[in-house]
Parts: sequence; structure tokens; C-alpha cells
Amino acid sequence: MVCLYTLFIGIALIASAVLVWATGGDWRAVLPALINGSIAKPGRWGQTLTEAAPLLLVALGAIVATRMNLVNIGQEGQLLIGAASAAMIATRGSGIFILIFSILIGALGGAIWSSVAAVLKYWRKVPEVVSTLLMVFIATQLTGFLLTKKSLLLDRSADRPNKTQTSGQLAANTRLPYIHIFGNDISIAVPISVCIALIVVFLLNRTIWGFKLDMVGMNARVAQRFGVSERSAGIIALAIGGALAGLAGSFMFTSGTANYRYTPGFANNVGWEGLLVALVSRNQPLVAVVIALVFAGLRTGSSFLASTGIQREIVDVVRALLVLALLLPPAYVFLRGNLHRDKNRGGK
Amino acid sequence: MSEVRTSGTGAQASVPLVELTNISKRYGDIAACDNVTLSMYPGQIHGILGENGAGKSTLMKVLIGLVKPDAGAISMNGVVQNITNPQSAARIGFGMVHQHFSLVEELTVWENVLLGEELKFDRARARVLVGEIGERFGLTVNPDARIRDLTAGLRQRVELIKCLRHDPRVVILDEPTSVLTPAESEQLFPTLREKVAIEGRCVALVSHKLAEVLHATDVITIMRQGRVIEHHETHQTDAPSLARAMVGREVSLRSQHAVLGASFVSQSAPSESTSTTDATDVLQIADACVSLGGVSKLKNLNLGVRAGEILGLAGVEGNGQRELGDVLSSLLTLDSGLISIDGTIVRTGKPGSMSRAGIAVIPEDRHDSGVVLTMSVAANLALQRMVDFSHNGVIDEVLLFESAQQLIDEFEIRCDGPNAPLHSLSGGNQQRVVLARELSAKPKVLVAAQPTRGLDVGAIEFMSDRLERAAASGIAILLISSDLDEILHLSHRISVISSGTIVGTLSRQEATMEQLGLLMGGLAL
Repeated sequence: MVCLYTLFIGIALIASAVLVWATGGDWRAVLPALINGSIAKPGRWGQTLTEAAPLLLVALGAIVATRMNLVNIGQEGQLLIGAASAAMIATRGSGIFILIFSILIGALGGAIWSSVAAVLKYWRKVPEVVSTLLMVFIATQLTGFLLTKKSLLLDRSADRPNKTQTSGQLAANTRLPYIHIFGNDISIAVPISVCIALIVVFLLNRTIWGFKLDMVGMNARVAQRFGVSERSAGIIALAIGGALAGLAGSFMFTSGTANYRYTPGFANNVGWEGLLVALVSRNQPLVAVVIALVFAGLRTGSSFLASTGIQREIVDVVRALLVLALLLPPAYVFLRGNLHRDKNRGGK
Repeated sequence: MSEVRTSGTGAQASVPLVELTNISKRYGDIAACDNVTLSMYPGQIHGILGENGAGKSTLMKVLIGLVKPDAGAISMNGVVQNITNPQSAARIGFGMVHQHFSLVEELTVWENVLLGEELKFDRARARVLVGEIGERFGLTVNPDARIRDLTAGLRQRVELIKCLRHDPRVVILDEPTSVLTPAESEQLFPTLREKVAIEGRCVALVSHKLAEVLHATDVITIMRQGRVIEHHETHQTDAPSLARAMVGREVSLRSQHAVLGASFVSQSAPSESTSTTDATDVLQIADACVSLGGVSKLKNLNLGVRAGEILGLAGVEGNGQRELGDVLSSLLTLDSGLISIDGTIVRTGKPGSMSRAGIAVIPEDRHDSGVVLTMSVAANLALQRMVDFSHNGVIDEVLLFESAQQLIDEFEIRCDGPNAPLHSLSGGNQQRVVLARELSAKPKVLVAAQPTRGLDVGAIEFMSDRLERAAASGIAILLISSDLDEILHLSHRISVISSGTIVGTLSRQEATMEQLGLLMGGLAL
């Protein structure tokens, strides 16, 4: 496995270097820029940690749903709804209580958004893969609409910068605190997210609740026989996924991802990349903690790469190549496992 | 073969249309067909009668090219045919209507008839075709109707038309009336029979229903354990002798055990006298009705099981046993009727309701609703009682493992300890896990559906012994089995289920193979 990762990442880096060289950039700068941007330069690893927190939360939600064979891929939308509802509360007041309240409302918003998919699934038999996905686009449009009305989310102050459609800025005393350590600023969302990961591990592996989720996921008829309703377990699993994605959105907003404003395109693919984190960590919450850091490193590293003068589009391709390199080894192992099983079955 | 045959109307032929010679097919140690030799004559409806596993279906699958025989030859009109796949069988002239419908519910009748056709869909031609075949064989059905709107009887007609449009010489009907109402099945045969005789075709009617076979066929072949046991002209035989031939057996495994001293008579006789006289029913099922996909599965089923008795529910498979098991596992909701335990009504179809009310189930298919293969043995032993091994919702693994180890020892489950994944166990040991778990919940009622199917001799004995001990401890046991030996060996009373309803209940002393055979064949005593 380690060999595979080294091989694929090596290939991705070489391909990136070739690409940068071919488009007239300095190919020797790629790897140093990625490393400098994610960990080496002062203050960067704090940034990486801070960006890892929402990725981890999204991944945890996907993992919970996967435990009972539900595929929730609508985190990008749930995150948007969470961030927007947190912003609507938080920009209307100030103080620590408003901060906490708005974060909780964000989680609730995400949960309600994903529960719609659960309702559609268990009452109208709409596959949750389809409904969660399509609701991402509704969420994008809905939050876009919120940004057109001052009564809703649009900045109410007269001197709106450049007349762009953003929300008002969060008051200084309503922002999520940062921990200052070794010259790095780490959002308090980071330790909270790691705690949530530990709680998820505990709930899934040590409690009756996790056991029931497993039962439904592994054999729904056995679960039904012994009193576990697939419906209620499924609603809870999807709602938890939405709540965690909504929480990720609230944390992003209150820790200043977009300068403490809610902007169009706020989610910036965190919802999608969180899914990839779950995929690469093969649905193990503790592995997801590490993988979320790697993905966050890619985010911070590549934004640093962009500042070295390489075109933004090329930087995106470089990042995509590296993400692909992280996804291929598990996919390869999975496919090989299937092949083996098929062969064994054929032999019998 | 005797020379004198009276095939109702027309076409008297002395040359067989189809001849099967020494057909054998083995699956491992089991001979599904053992040297079967059979001749079918043109113009005749040929009944093939036998219990589950008698080899009827395998034999028919050989004819239509789904199963390749290990030995033997098939000839049509005296010419040996090489049947390698369903296409070649169809070319030679074999057509089959399967027991389970293979129709697309969302499509119309003519669309279904044309399915699988390589040519272009021609609506007008197809509709005419459906009309023609329908008229010729008395199978009228509206070609534009959607399948999902049709009754089972009309669906059966569509299946028949699908088969007949290929103009087969030999039509094989596999349990054609198992899904039909009596009125529908009576309508099915008369015209079909007449046309078959005139056109010189041959129909093989595979069935376990005595009345149907007696009513619709010209000759009857009885199969048992892969062999042809008897061969009769239909008008020369009657239901009791057919029933005897169908279920009667040589000295069987169980009766050998009985002879060797593991006798059940001495054990069960006293407990029976106590249980049958004054005990009241623990489990009561009243007027239970269920239909699935428009087909009625349970029809006004009434059943009572008393504390301390084993009530055997005999019957040919597919007569509602699976649905009854599902209802008692809270997996299926009754359309009407009541289920009660000790007089308290239990809601059907609600998750866990039956389990909480005290009904334990050893399901017919343990992988379907009995075990979770990917979980550990310990978890599987505690599926319904995890709460007992937890504090405030947190599972206490030490407690769980201790209890699992106890059950593993008590029920002699062979495994690599409580942590071994269940799929690493053999079938027999998986079944012991199910039994151990169900009994550990201290149930009032134990439903054992086909509990020894696929198990080896030792495992069968163990299971039988445990069931008897459970009954002795006061549990009401409903033993659902299609194995008559098992039923006769273990039960205090025997009920027979046919077409989703109880057709008779006998005490163990009254019951004979012949009577049970008649009841299972759907005939009242």
C-alpha cells in the first residue's frame, strides 16, 4: 500500500512538473511550493489544520451513513445551507452566545436539508444517492437567492465593497477563537472536530446505537426481526451526516474562510473533497483524521503554488492529479480483491 | 408401457413422441435423477407427480436444456437429440412454462409475448397472434392489457401463449396451478387438453397436486428420490394409492434411529398426554390473510400451538409456509386476521414486535433473516438481547463474550472463539448459533422452519434433540417442515397447510403417510 501511494504520487508529481514546464512555468518550483505552502513556511501548518477540520467533519458524516449502506453525497449543499443559516443568525447580533447559537443553527440547517432526502427515500422510495446529489444544486440556488435580499442574508451596510453580493461581516467578538501556538493560528474548530471524530468512533463501535446501525447495514431483515427499524435508523444516519456538514459550514464561516462573510461559492468544494477523504480512509474515522490533513495540505499547498506565479487553472490541475494519486491505490486494492474473489468462486 | 391407452379424444399413437432413456444427474452425493426412463406419447397429457426434491424439476430442466445430464439420451420421434442449451431445446420443440411468472409487469400482454424476439416489434402482427393463439387454445386475453392489472389466472394464460407461439411439440407445465385459484385452474385444462390431442402435441404436467393430476392427465408417472417409482393410466388409479406412492419411503434415516433406541415414542408420549388435554394455546393465529403481488399466500389460516407441544406443520413447499414464517418474524404485515400470544394481540410487521412478544424463530433461510454473516459469533448470539450486555447504551464486551462462550460450550458450536466472524462457521454450526440465540431469549413460542435442511446426520440429531427438550421445558413449538419424516418423528400433533390454509389437523397417533399425502395434495379427508 505504501509502495502504491509513493508510486502514484511520484507519477502525479512528474506529470505536474511536465505540465507546468509545458505551460511556461518553473517546474522546479512545484514540489517546494507545495511543501512550503502546506507545512514548511511560518504559519502554514496552522492554516492546513484549520482547513482540515471541515473536511474531516464532512467525511465523518459520510462514514456514518455508509455504515448502514446509505450513500449521502450531498454534503456540499448541506454545508452551504449550514453556513448560510449560521450567517443569517450570526450577522444579526454579536457575542459568544450568538456565536454558539449560530453554529448550532448551522448544524440544524444541514440536518434538516439532508433529512428531506431521508423523507423522500422512506416515504416515496427516491434513492438517497440521487436526492442528496440533486439537492446540492437546489442549495446553491437557494443560498444564492438569500444573498439577493437585504432582509435575508445580503449585507445591509451601505458601503458594501464593490457592490458584490455577500453577507455582512461577522462582528469581531462573534468570531471563532484561534489558538496561537509556535507562530501558527489554529482555529478552535480543529480540536472540536477531532473530538467529534473520537465520539463517532465510540458511538459506532462501542454502543448499542452503532450496533443497530451495523445490523441494518449488514442485514436489514435481521434488524427488522429484532426491533430495529430501517427507517428511523436511516433518518438519523442521514440527519447526522447533514448536521456534520452544516457544522463544517458554520465553522468555516465563523473562522473566517471568506473573510467572515458568506459569499457565492462559499463551499469551495469542501463538501466534495470531504467525500474523497471518507473514500480514501475507507470509512475509518480515525484514518479520516489523517487523510483530511493530507487533503487540507493539498489545498493550502496549491494556493501557495498559485502565488508563485503559476496560472490558477494549472494549479487546479496539479491538485486534481495529486488527489487522483491518493484515490487510485484504494481503488486498485478494491478491484484486485474483487478479481480474486471472482476467481475463487469460478474455481469452486 | 402397456399397449392399451385411452387418451380421451383423437390421435391414438403407439409411437412415443419423446423418449428419455436412463437419464441420470448427480449433484455431489445426491442423485437428482437416477436412471430415469420415460416415454411420452403424442396427444397425451402426462402427469409427473412427486414431492419436493423428487427430481421432477431437474428432469424437466434436462429436457429444455437448462441442465446437462451426466448420462442418458433423449430422443424425439425416434431420433436421438443433442440438447446443449435452451435454444437448441426450443428448436427441437420443447417449450416450458415455469412455475414462477417471468413477465414484465409494466408492459402489455403483446409486448410480453414478443419479448426475447430477435425480429422487429410489430404491434399489429403481435396483437393478431395473441388473439389467434388465445382462441385456438381457449386462452383468451386482451392483448393490450398491462400485466400488472391482470389476475394470476390471466398472467398464467399469457405465459402459456408465450410458450405456445413457438409451436412446441412438447409443452412442459411446471406446477401451473400453484398460483391459481381453484376456479382458475379448472378453466385452464379442458380446451388445452382437447387441442393437444387433436394436434398431436404432448404436455408434461409437473405437479404435486393429486386432484389436478387426476383431473387433467391421461397417464401419471410418480417420482421419488430421483427415481421413477410407478407408472399408471390415470383412469386406473386413485388418490390414496398415488399419495402412498408419492410419500411412502424405504426404511429412512429417522426410523432407523427410532429402531436403534433413540426412540421418540417413549419420550414424547407422556408429554403429549399432558399437553393435549388441558393446555390452552400459547400462540394463536386467527383468520390470517396475506397476499403478495396480487397472489394470495395465506387464506384465513387458523392455527393454535399449546405450551409444551410440538405442532408439525406439514405441506409441500410454496403453500404459504415462508409467508407464515415471515409474519411470525415481524417481517410481513397481515392483510387481515390476528396473532396473539397468551391472549395478547401482537402487531404484525412492526419491527421487533414478534420477538418482544416472545416468539423465537429459526428461519427457513438463516442467511436471509437468521444471522449477520459479517458480524462476530458473539454479536450474532446476542442480536436481540444486546441491551442485556450494556450499561447506559454502551456495550460491555466482557459480559458479551462471557455469555457467548457459555452458549458456544452449551450448544457445542465449533468456532475460533466468540470473536470469529460468523461466515467462517460451517452451515451446521451457523444453525446452532441461531438455535442458541433464539432459545437464550427464553421464548414462549419457537417457530422452527425447515430446521434441519441441508444439515448432516449429527447436526440433525442435535437439532431434533434440542427441539424436544425445548418442548419439554414448556415452550410451544411450531415445526414448519416439508420433510414428512421429520414431522412424524418430532410432532405431537400435525397440521397440513395447502394453498395458504390449514386443510387438516391430526394427532400423531391418527396420522398416516397416506392421510398426510392426501392432505398435502390438497384433498380433504
